[in-house]
Amino acid sequence: MNHAPLAPACAALLRRDLTLAWRQRGDIALPVLYALIVSTLFPFALGPDLALLQRIAGGAVLVTVLLAMLLALDAMFRSDIEDGSLEQLMLSPQPLAPMLGMKILAHWLTTALPLIVIAPLLASLLHLPVAVMPVLLLALLLATPLISLLGAVLVALTAGSRRSGMLLALMLLPLCVPVVIFAAGALAAAQQGLPWIAPIAWLGAALALAVVLAPLACAAALRIALDS
Amino acid sequence: MAKWIPLWLHKLSSPPTFYAFAGKVRPWAIALALILGVIALYGALVLAPPDYQQGDDYRIIFIHVPSAWMSLFIYAVMGVSAFIALVWRIKLAEVVAMESAPIGAAFTFITLVTGSLWGERMWGTWWTWDARLTSELVLLFLYLGVIGLYHSFEDRRQGARAAAFLAIIGIINVPIVHFSVQWWNTLHQGSTVNLFGKSHIATDMLWPLLTMMVATKAYYVASLCGRVRTDLLALEGGKDWVRKIAAAEKSR
Repeated sequence: MNHAPLAPACAALLRRDLTLAWRQRGDIALPVLYALIVSTLFPFALGPDLALLQRIAGGAVLVTVLLAMLLALDAMFRSDIEDGSLEQLMLSPQPLAPMLGMKILAHWLTTALPLIVIAPLLASLLHLPVAVMPVLLLALLLATPLISLLGAVLVALTAGSRRSGMLLALMLLPLCVPVVIFAAGALAAAQQGLPWIAPIAWLGAALALAVVLAPLACAAALRIALDS
Repeated sequence: MAKWIPLWLHKLSSPPTFYAFAGKVRPWAIALALILGVIALYGALVLAPPDYQQGDDYRIIFIHVPSAWMSLFIYAVMGVSAFIALVWRIKLAEVVAMESAPIGAAFTFITLVTGSLWGERMWGTWWTWDARLTSELVLLFLYLGVIGLYHSFEDRRQGARAAAFLAIIGIINVPIVHFSVQWWNTLHQGSTVNLFGKSHIATDMLWPLLTMMVATKAYYVASLCGRVRTDLLALEGGKDWVRKIAAAEKSR
């Protein structure tokens, strides 16, 4: 039996997912809008005190981006399960893990990348010093794919269950605690003018590990959750 | 199958055999837990002298420390049986993993509550974001995630396998909790009782602690036996051996 080699298959899947996302552009805007709303709520809740906002800005933006991603995570495989294309993907002759990696990449490009693009805006709403901005972007660039990868494994596990967003949040929290700690640690160090490269390096190391392992775990989880 | 594993161990993993075995073990384990628990409490609350710094307040460690040990021990048991369940697809291992989770969650909760009661007296605060406290809280969330995932599936065995996978992912937290007091400079004190080497605790205080540890282990065994028996009956509802038990119950 002839079948497409892995690389074109991956490219085709990526193109398909991006096209699907582009046809429903409104959905891409929703997490961005959500993050914007949450960020504007902070000054109302805490008062417009410049020093206080500056101090919490980094952490607040991180948590906001994380929550916005959590909202979007739930939809990662939903439409594919509903129309049966995920089962076709599992039956396809190509190995499942790299294909799922492509799906995760597409999901990251459509949900996390817009959030990273507006992150400087959110941060300046909360008066984060401009000098810290590159560190924020670097931390987000490393932390958001990590959350996408870890989240994908958990979403795959819940794929066969009755949906519940709360359950996903409960499961994701223990896994994303270290991510938040290191990302926020880098930001806090940068804000105090200390060297911030160590936590960023930890994030990078974790990302390298997750890029290799998470698609495999995700494939195993999907096989467990959809096996009936 | 490997030859060196004795035959009775293979037989034990079949639900009817384990059901009968657990029924025999359970009363002994309950009795052991009760007797040792009472002895340990007497030793802890009456015989052990007050601490020279903390007075009588330190006595909460006789609950706190064994619970904390159990919270990690049960997670390890859950992780190992989850691994067995996923690799060899043994039904009993799935049941043991899933029925351990609520017991472990209860011990973790007791650890957190007694710890914060003690912290209020000694540190002057109920809660502090220190590495060990936080990682213990994360452990509670892991337990709750496993329980929640298990119950969110229509099919119990499928739910058990998915939750077992989550339990294996979460096992990375166990060494973090255990070594948190060594890796980070925390408010929580380091370990006083050492399995290998000298413990930094008076013998009068050590023996009730160790007795309580055995008592909590016995309680875990008893509780697990009871829960697994119920779960096996529910899971194997249509099978012959369950029908026989049901018929025997009815004719009584």
